[in-house]
This record gives sequence, structure tokens and C-alpha cells, in this order.
Amino acid sequence: MGTFWRGVLKGAVGPRDNDSRYLLDVHRRDLPGEATMRRYADDDEVDLVVVGAGAGGSVLAQRLARKGWRVVILEAGPFWHPDEDWVSDEAGSHALYWTQERVIGGDDPIQLGKNNSGRGVGGSMVHYAGYTPRFHPSDFSTFTDDGVGADWPLGYHDLLPHYEQVELELPVAGQDWPWGHPHRYPFSPHPVTGAALRLTEGAHRCGIDMRVGPVGIVNGTFGNRPHCIYRGYCLQGCKVNAKASPYVTHLPDALEHGVEVRANCMALRVEVDDATGAARGVVYVSNDDETAATSSDDAANPRRRGTERLQRAKVVAVAGYSIETPRLLLASTSRRHPHGLGNNTDQVGRYVMVQGATQSAGRWPDELRMYKAPPPEISSEQFYETDPDRGFARGFSIQTVSPMPIGWAEHVLADGHWGRALREYMRDYNHWATIGVLNELLPHPENRITLADETDPYGQPVARMDYTLTDNDKANMAYSSTVITKILEAAEAQDILTIQRFAHLIGGARMGSDPDESVVDADHRIWNVPNVVLADGSVCPTQGSANPALTIMALASRLAERMAHA
Amino acid sequence: MSRRPDIAGGEHLPKLRPGQEPPPPSWLPRQRRGTTPQMIGRYPDYDVFDAIDTWDEATKKAVLARLEPPGPLRFFTAEEEPTLRAFCDVATAQDDEPRVPVAEMVDAKMADAKLDGYRYADMPRDPETWRRVLAGLDHTARTAYRVPFAQATEEQRENIVREFAAGRLVGGPWDDLNVTRAWSVVMRGVLSEFYSHPWSWNEIGFGGPAYPRGFLRLGGPGREGPAVREPFERPGAVDVDPVRKDA
Ligand SMILES: Cc1cc2nc3c(=O)[nH]c(=O)nc-3n(C[C@H](O)[C@H](O)[C@H](O)COP(=O)(O)OP(=O)(O)OC[C@H]3O[C@@H](n4cnc5c(N)ncnc54)[C@H](O)[C@@H]3O)c2cc1C
Ligand code: SF4
Repeated sequence: MGTFWRGVLKGAVGPRDNDSRYLLDVHRRDLPGEATMRRYADDDEVDLVVVGAGAGGSVLAQRLARKGWRVVILEAGPFWHPDEDWVSDEAGSHALYWTQERVIGGDDPIQLGKNNSGRGVGGSMVHYAGYTPRFHPSDFSTFTDDGVGADWPLGYHDLLPHYEQVELELPVAGQDWPWGHPHRYPFSPHPVTGAALRLTEGAHRCGIDMRVGPVGIVNGTFGNRPHCIYRGYCLQGCKVNAKASPYVTHLPDALEHGVEVRANCMALRVEVDDATGAARGVVYVSNDDETAATSSDDAANPRRRGTERLQRAKVVAVAGYSIETPRLLLASTSRRHPHGLGNNTDQVGRYVMVQGATQSAGRWPDELRMYKAPPPEISSEQFYETDPDRGFARGFSIQTVSPMPIGWAEHVLADGHWGRALREYMRDYNHWATIGVLNELLPHPENRITLADETDPYGQPVARMDYTLTDNDKANMAYSSTVITKILEAAEAQDILTIQRFAHLIGGARMGSDPDESVVDADHRIWNVPNVVLADGSVCPTQGSANPALTIMALASRLAERMAHA
Repeated sequence: MSRRPDIAGGEHLPKLRPGQEPPPPSWLPRQRRGTTPQMIGRYPDYDVFDAIDTWDEATKKAVLARLEPPGPLRFFTAEEEPTLRAFCDVATAQDDEPRVPVAEMVDAKMADAKLDGYRYADMPRDPETWRRVLAGLDHTARTAYRVPFAQATEEQRENIVREFAAGRLVGGPWDDLNVTRAWSVVMRGVLSEFYSHPWSWNEIGFGGPAYPRGFLRLGGPGREGPAVREPFERPGAVDVDPVRKDA
């Protein structure tokens, strides 16, 4: 659909070939079809087994199920029942995050957990904020253009139809988008809070254009998905079903088309047949088997739980995100792949990336109550592209966010306050509004996932993530901090508190055109392995300064098209 | 009571004050409705529980569980307990009852191994970090003031915690710890417990759980009057009782 028609038909067009929105129940939040879902036996060779029911894995499964593929998804985390499992509460949402142990190192270790990865049916998008920007066309050729990062083996226009389709499926609401490849969104922008308006005023005074959205949050009528109720708990899992995640956007349709989502099943290895070089399936452990086995809670003294099972499949897709996908590949050793599947050129786990995500809060005389409405409200990509005058390559985006009390306490602490001073700033919570950046940090081979010495309760070595910022990264972060500080000053903030932090994960098993420098080809297939693809954020060679979920879904959508026609 | 700072002007904000010193909390009004830590707060007529009939059952259960009688300690030992309590008090400036039972809440988290999903390569796991920090605080107090941390004066404890926050503590257990990271580990634990407690929401005027009710009034510059405030919200106040003032 042309962008003209998108404007005219705003709010009136639903996606084709995905009935998820109608399959949802109006009165219950559960994923419809769990009880009646098709089941496959382990030794039944299915067409596709997917590891991970997150953004990428769910889209791939839904698309191929529509083409008649018999699909099983193995998901380490639980099958959510949002009415009972999710709460309108920060601390009570701990179970949504990947909190299994991981080791962080390097000069700039990245805090993980609630900050970057989820666990359970729906993956990280269950508790992502909801921003759904596209990448810019320039993101696919940063090496050619600027001599940094890497070129992708595909371009923006390969993804464009899939961006448009996924935007209809989420559905994305936002103002007309002037940056990158200009486009319109299928739904109108949401109303914004006084807090966000304050920040926009400041930005305008600095000559910075800010736009409402883009967010994957229903604004209007969309099948049985309700309108957002502006309660602000998007990062705690949307109990309303207004915010997009595969749990509501793709898995209902997937189940309807015969996909089995096998929850509480941790994949341990992709099993490769050394005779043929092809994968036979995925070895996993089901927590449901383990109830009888005595389990040890003391991770220092792990005991292998449950029995290993092999789900046989013609094709294996790994979609465990940027830490767990490399971890699974590294643990999948065989005669042909002694250092891990796809790792014969030592590329698995390298070039993992995060985005700089410094946030600054400003204070005003009146009560703004930033906890209302979805945290993602208004953003700008005016600084996204390289500007030689800034003295560093690539750029950053600006987005409003709004921490809840625990997040606000971390913010105040990071600015150096504790005890009485911290309590004073905390009591002032309702007077503050927060604006953040997303810096494009550049891929670096030493920023990588490896296996640590310790093991998890399944006996699987845990992941270690090393991260060290480059000079370009530091220059980008420093520059962007001054920009948001200026916005707050222009908006006449009386006081400013800043937290330096990181967000999002991407890369770790990148695609490329040379097997010596990448893990998968342009069709996401592991080099020299005929039937294993990677279908998540780990394949991205660069990340731009856009939040990654929409692109991960669009990539999986394109991958499904390629696989269906192969 | 000390002079009331100009709230709109931000006179109470530590960074805008000489020496970045916060004002003594005695300027704050006493809570008139519901409970806050130490019964002080900026919203004396607001109680998050006034809206409890609008919360969903799962959330209600999770939040009310935090009001259950705390303890007894399961992870920390009897020897560690006084230091633990003293540290949690200083870190959150809780010098009086009613207290949010941070010590018990942290203890439960460690006992149940409900950890946050990452460990610094040069650090032990969080429960062990906690043990070493408590031992370190005692070590420093004994070295500097010849008393255990829990028996030091408030000023002495604050001095030690200030050095801890700055990553400057050395000697004894501290030599086996990256002190800056240890500070971030224990403070993350303390603050996520303190601000998960509904009493702290009353103190700061946070709206609390909001499902299935949601919010209708998103506020904004130029929007004044009753239209900016949800019916269950109460405005910030200093020492005037808005109910009686309006009457
Ligand atoms: C707090 C937060 C806020 C965010 N905000 C935004 C935002 O505003 N916009 C945006 O675009 N992105 C955001 N993100 C990032 C976004 O959610 C992720 O980029 C995206 O979901 C990643 O998709 P994925 O398919 O690669 O992995 P995921 O969605 O993480 O899915 C991976 C799944 O695989 C499972 N898994 C992993 N290993 C195994 C195994 N061995 N066996 C079985 N299952 C396994 C996991 O449990 C998980 O469910 C946010 C993330 C977080 C944490
Ligand atoms: S603010 Fe809207 S999208 Fe976010 S959790 Fe609430 S209802 Fe869902």
C-alpha cells in the first residue's frame, strides 16, 4: 500500500493473513487455543522446530504455519496467563525477565536482567516499552558510507514490504515520520501527557523536531484488542492486550494454524548429524518432566534436571536473542563443529551490541505525574545519521520515557544520592519528566558472548558477555547527553538528574556475505549447514539508533517468505 | 518544625542547596491518611489503598503480601542482623517507626535466590556480596570508631556510607571487593524493596496499580482545575489540610 493510501485509510485497514486480533477473547487475556493446541511427538519429524517464542521466532512460526508447515516452538519460560500471572506492579513483574545467571565483564559491563531480556511465551516484547521505529536505509551500509560497522547482505528495500506488513499487525500508531525513509503509520498518534509536552516544548526551542510515536499500541478499534487505558505499565507486561507482543499479535494465529508452543522447555543443543552435516533436531529439557526429580536451588551446586529429549525436525530455527542464541550455538558441539555450531571461523558470539541509553530528568514547579500513559510517547531521529561536524560516526535518537518508583530510585541513586537526599528527590517524583537517548554503539569483535565456567541448573554453561565501549561510542554518548540537557534547560527545568545506562541487545551471530566474517548468510542460514537458520535479533550486523523489535519481526517475516519459496 | 521550603521553587532539592545537603525532614507534614515510612510525606491526604477496589486480584495479592508481618530472617545470621538493619536504615534514611521492613525484604530475596540475572565477572554472587559488605561495614566502623557499625552514631554511620558510595572504603573485607560495584549491588537491592512497598508510594504520591481502571487525565501545561486530577488523586500539600481549607 502506498504511503498516500496509508494516510487516507488510517485506522481502517487490518493486516491480511493474520487473524490474531479476532482470535483473542474479549473477556480473558489468555492466549486462545492453549488447551486445544496441536501436539507433536518428539520423534515425529516436524517441518520446523523454533527455539524461542519471542519476536523473531513467533513471526517465523506464524508465517510458515500459514503455508502449511508443521511447527513446534520450544520456549524456556512459562506459558503466560496474564489475568493471573501479570500484575500492575514493578517488583511483582520479576518473573517476566531472564534472571537466570549470566556473567558480565569487559571495561563497561552491561547490566542485564530486566533491562534487556525476557523469558516466556512472547519473549522480550512482553515487557518491552513499545517503541517501534524502523531502521534507516543508511543502517544497511555503514561500512561503505562511513567506514564503521558493517554492511548488511541485504538492504532497506528488501525489508520494506515486511516493515509495512508488521506495522499493520502490531498495529503501529504515530505521527507521519519525516526521518530515514519517510512514511506514515496505520494508526493515529496517541494523546500525550503533560510531562511529554513539556519535553517537546523544550526540544522545539532547541530547533529539534519531535514526533508522537511510533508505538505498537492500539489507538482505536483493532479486532478484539482493546484501546490502551494509559495506565503506564507497559514494561511490566500489558494486562490490557493493547500493547503489541507476539503473545497477542502472532501466536494466536500461529496456534490456530497448528503450531505447538511447548513452554518450560529449555533447548540445550542443536543436534547435528555428523554424517550429513545437517541438523536432526533440538535437544531440550522440559521442566514438566522434572517435578519428580529432586532439584537443587543452589546454583553453585547444579544438578541436571529432567531427562533430555530430542525434537526431530527438518529445519531448525534458533531465536533465543543475542545472548541465548550464541550460547546455544557454542554449546552445540559436534565433530564437524568442534567449537560450536557455525563457529568454525570464530564468529559466534562476536559483535554483540547494546545501545547507550542515558536518561535525564528535569524538574518543574507543577505536578506532572509521569507515571501515566505508556512510557514511550515522543521521539526524534534528527540526530540519527552521521554528521561530520559532531566528530563521530553515526548518531542517536531521542525518546521520552517515564520510570516508575523503583526505576526512579535507580535514576536518583545514579546521580549520586542516597539516604535523606534520595528520599527528598523521591518525594518530588511527581514533578519530574524524563527524556532519554539511544546511541548507536558500533559493533566490535571483542564485545562478545562466550561460555563461562559455571553451569546453570540444567548443567548448561552460562553465558558471559564482555563489553567495552569504543572512542566513537563514548563521543556519541557524551554529545547526546549535552543535547538532552539542553532540551531540559530550554524547557526551563529547575533541576536535572542523569543516569547513564544501556538498553537493548542485538547482534552476536551476524549475517554477512563472507563466512570468515559472519555466522549466517543473507537468508539467515548458518554457513555450510543446510537446515539451521537464526531468526532473531542476533543476526543484525548493525543496529542504528532505532529500537530493534520491529526490525527483528520484519526480518523474520522476510525469512519466512524466503523459506517458503526455497 | 523548621521553615517550610518553597516547593514550587524547588528550595528543598538537594542539588539546589548549599553543600547539596537536603533539608531536615522535619519540615514535612505528618501523614493524615494511610501510612508512610516515618509518617512523613508530600501527600498527607493521599492513601493508595483508597483505590484498592479498582485493582485486579493478582495485583492486589502481590501488593498486600508486602504488608504481612516481616521476617524472621532466613538468609542473614544473627551476627549480621544488626549491621544489616543499620545499613538499610541509613541507606533509606529510616530513623523511626513505621519502617518499610527493607532488611527482611532483602533477606527474603537472598534466601529465595531471586536474583537479578547478572553477576560482574570480578564479583561474587549477590548473596555473598551482601555478606562481605556487612562484614566490611563492621570492619570500617571498628577501625574508625572502635564500635561495630550498628553501635556507631548516626553521623558516623553516614560518614561510612558516604565513603562506601564514593567507592573509597579499603581494608579487610573491602580488599576482596570492587567497592563501587558492591555499592550498586546492595543499593539496587535496598531501593527495589523500599520502593515496592505501598507506604513509600503514599509518601511520594505515586498512583500505584492501575488495572483495570487506567488513567484518564494525563495533565499538561495550561490544563488546570479538576480536569487534571483523577478523582482518587490528592494534590501535594505542605501543612494545610486541603479538605478543611476547602470546607
Ligand atoms: C525493558 C525492555 C524494553 C524494551 N523496549 C523496546 C522498545 O521500546 N522497542 C523495541 O523495539 N524493543 C524494545 N526492547 C527490545 C525487544 O524486546 C527485543 O529486541 C526483542 O524482543 C528481541 O526479539 P528476539 O526474537 O530476538 O528475542 P526475544 O523476544 O527475547 O525472544 C527470545 C525467546 O527465546 C527464549 N529462549 C532463549 N533461549 C532459549 C532456549 N535455550 N530454549 C528455549 N527458549 C529459549 C526466551 O525465553 C525468549 O522468550 C526492549 C526490551 C526490554 C527488555
Ligand atoms: S499504558 Fe496502554 S499499552 Fe501500556 S500497559 Fe497500559 S494499556 Fe497497555
